[in-house]
Amino acid sequence: MTDVPPVLKLTEISRTFGKIKAVDSVSLEIRKGEVIGLTGENGAGKTTLLKILSGIERPDEGRMEINGQVANFRRPTDALKAGIGIVHQEQSLFTNLTVAENIEHQNIDRSGLGRFGIQNWGRINRSAQEVLDKIGVRLDPRARVGDLSFVDRQMVEIARAVSVDPDMAGTPLVILDEPTAVLEQAEVDVLEREIRKLREFASVIFVSHRLDEVLRICDRVLVMRHGALTSDRSTEGVTKDELFRAMVDETPRLSKRDRAAPPQPGPAAIAVSGLTREGKYRDVSFSVRPGEIVALVGTNGSGRGSLARTLFGAETSDSGTIEVAGTRVGGWTIPRAVAAGLAYVPAERKVEGMIGGYPGTRNIALAHPEAARSGPFLRHAKMARIAQDWFDRLGVSPNDIRQPLGQFSGGNQQKVVLAKWLNNPDLKVLILDHPLRGLDVGVSQAVNREIRAACDTGTAVVLIPDTIEEALEMADEILVLKDGEVTARHDMRTADGLAVQEIVAEMI
Amino acid sequence: MTDRADPSARAAAPAPEDRAGRLPGGLRRAASWHVLAPPLVFFAILLVVSVANPAYLGPFGVSIATASAAPILLVALGQAMVLNIGSIDLSNAAIALFGTILFALTIPATGLAAIVIVLAVVTLIGAFNGAVLAYTQVPSFALTLGTFGILQTASLVLSGSETIYVSENRELVTALYATRAFGIPLTFWIGVAAAIAYWTMLRFTVAGQNMTAVGKNESGAIFSAVPIRRVKIAVFALSGFTSGLAVLAIVAQAGSASASGLGSALLLPGIAAALVGGTSISGGQANPINVIFGALTVAFVPIAAQALGFGAQAQSLVYGFFIIVVVTLTTTRARGIVIK
Repeated sequence: MTDVPPVLKLTEISRTFGKIKAVDSVSLEIRKGEVIGLTGENGAGKTTLLKILSGIERPDEGRMEINGQVANFRRPTDALKAGIGIVHQEQSLFTNLTVAENIEHQNIDRSGLGRFGIQNWGRINRSAQEVLDKIGVRLDPRARVGDLSFVDRQMVEIARAVSVDPDMAGTPLVILDEPTAVLEQAEVDVLEREIRKLREFASVIFVSHRLDEVLRICDRVLVMRHGALTSDRSTEGVTKDELFRAMVDETPRLSKRDRAAPPQPGPAAIAVSGLTREGKYRDVSFSVRPGEIVALVGTNGSGRGSLARTLFGAETSDSGTIEVAGTRVGGWTIPRAVAAGLAYVPAERKVEGMIGGYPGTRNIALAHPEAARSGPFLRHAKMARIAQDWFDRLGVSPNDIRQPLGQFSGGNQQKVVLAKWLNNPDLKVLILDHPLRGLDVGVSQAVNREIRAACDTGTAVVLIPDTIEEALEMADEILVLKDGEVTARHDMRTADGLAVQEIVAEMI
Repeated sequence: MTDRADPSARAAAPAPEDRAGRLPGGLRRAASWHVLAPPLVFFAILLVVSVANPAYLGPFGVSIATASAAPILLVALGQAMVLNIGSIDLSNAAIALFGTILFALTIPATGLAAIVIVLAVVTLIGAFNGAVLAYTQVPSFALTLGTFGILQTASLVLSGSETIYVSENRELVTALYATRAFGIPLTFWIGVAAAIAYWTMLRFTVAGQNMTAVGKNESGAIFSAVPIRRVKIAVFALSGFTSGLAVLAIVAQAGSASASGLGSALLLPGIAAALVGGTSISGGQANPINVIFGALTVAFVPIAAQALGFGAQAQSLVYGFFIIVVVTLTTTRARGIVIK
């Protein structure tokens, strides 16, 4: 048995982006038929590691061996040919094609399924049926993928992942990237059954934030932190607590918060009650007073992003109420929210946060042109003065208010996005979705400083932080969301010594 | 790093003389290729024609060229405004055609009020396009293709498939064509005035800033509280209104209106003129002043082809090649490789 080479063997694999070691000297072995759990906080390096395995990124250092042979992927198809199939969290199927076409499209050129560009439908359907039978899924190869349920589509993705070179001597490796994040419980059960069948002929890497599932499904669990592998052990006998400790830094118990400004009296700046959006979040209630920071923590599937967008009028809710400054709002839209003094810094900065083709002047004037308008006209000199003030204050580099914002680095773009909203003397509620995403330490500090400065002048802040540490550093109150429901609340003004591990336990 | 960044930022900010020294940078931006190309292209053709066949460039030649450019210019201006928000209006020439017939039918009885009536009707048709687009999110290409068909039939029905000659109050409208300033008919000057107005709007008003923002990045505009629906309705209404100005130019020139007459083939020259004028077909980039040169170029190419001795059959060929070359020269590629 031992002379069968491992399906996957990594030796000191590293990948660096700028100054950040996204993957730091990772070594591991996966044997035939093993199901491996891979877990870790956001930004721990899981995604980069998966990209290396699937040929999207190339490692700077280290050695990768697949079924005993050194692998040197130059492009994603190399990984597919080597038998590594990846099922992405956001699905990558052609929804307008049939199940069979999706499963076989990468093989059509090579396995005699088509000739001279003409496809042999009978053989394609038969071949797809064989793959479906092998993984034990009952699906019609002729069905259109767009008509299938989400979990069935995931089965098609799995089938596609294992369809490559079925008569290859080695063992295929199937990587499932957070497959359960968007599934209902019944669908999760189906998926678990599938994974157990898969192990008969393939090895599986199962990436998930949900430790219960990892412990139930997997033989071994790997934990990553800051790009490095911090734990690699059998799921037998391991406790969730041990895994938490491997996932998060040994943080000192929380020090006294440096922001002491007490919340201001009067009604809450924004309050929600019983807010529900089907499939996203359920029965969420909380309020934020002027000068207060409330952080929403949770995993990607927790519904907190959708909740933030609902507050800003970008998504609708199915039931529940939103009150702004004591008044219940209805027909809530973005222009109304902005007129009421709300602001939203989106996670998708380049797409939603800014107009890349516009310079700083126009980006800043876009949301609140009233500061620089007279009648229908914009006063260009005033716009330039406002933009220059913000560029100087936030240290935007290059200090050029007329250069298109798309040409700036991410951190400097984020400063301008923030300036767009802070350039409003009547700012009441600042909603921040991953405001520090992709920013280095210096820019992060500048952004956090501006958030606190806004609080000091009476702005209420709803923060979706990247990390729990960020929440502990910034928030007056922390709301923990799990699968769309608030599972815990911590008032940071009274809670003493709340640890990251406790919050992680409530999230998962 | 923990104290405010202001001191260091101020230190990094350029001293006043540095800023003065950067002025050429600002000028360079203003004088970039996509701003200069449309007039350069036009004057280059003018130069070639004047060398090859000077007879074509007398006062009479200028008058003919600008007169035939006037309706193209007006339709192209509306199109440029629509392209600027990332949509397209395939119905604007059909709106103009429908307008000419309505105008020819109403002017004998109502006189000058016919101008107001026609401008109001075509603006409403444009606003209808915009409203359907804003509320149903049908792609503008499909929507305006539909409006185009409807209006063509409406024009045929309204005119009874016959040519309507303006007899009474004829001089009210033909004066627009007959009156010249610098040898150029008033109809063309209307286009120039509209171009300046639209340029001012795009550059100096909140509404114009919102329009271009929608064209550059619609999601970004939505999340910056730009009233998307209002912008779309306004721009399509503007396109309708500008087609109404084209109605005046057409009827002034022809003295008549028919569903197959002058104005029935304005759609493609209008789009061509907008593109030759440097308008980006994927949105976010339009310069109405340059559309003047785009329209002049498009109107002038057949004349130039004739002046250079190309036969009548070869004119479409020359025109086709020419448009490809010119758009290649005038298109801005600043947006990156994705061009729709």
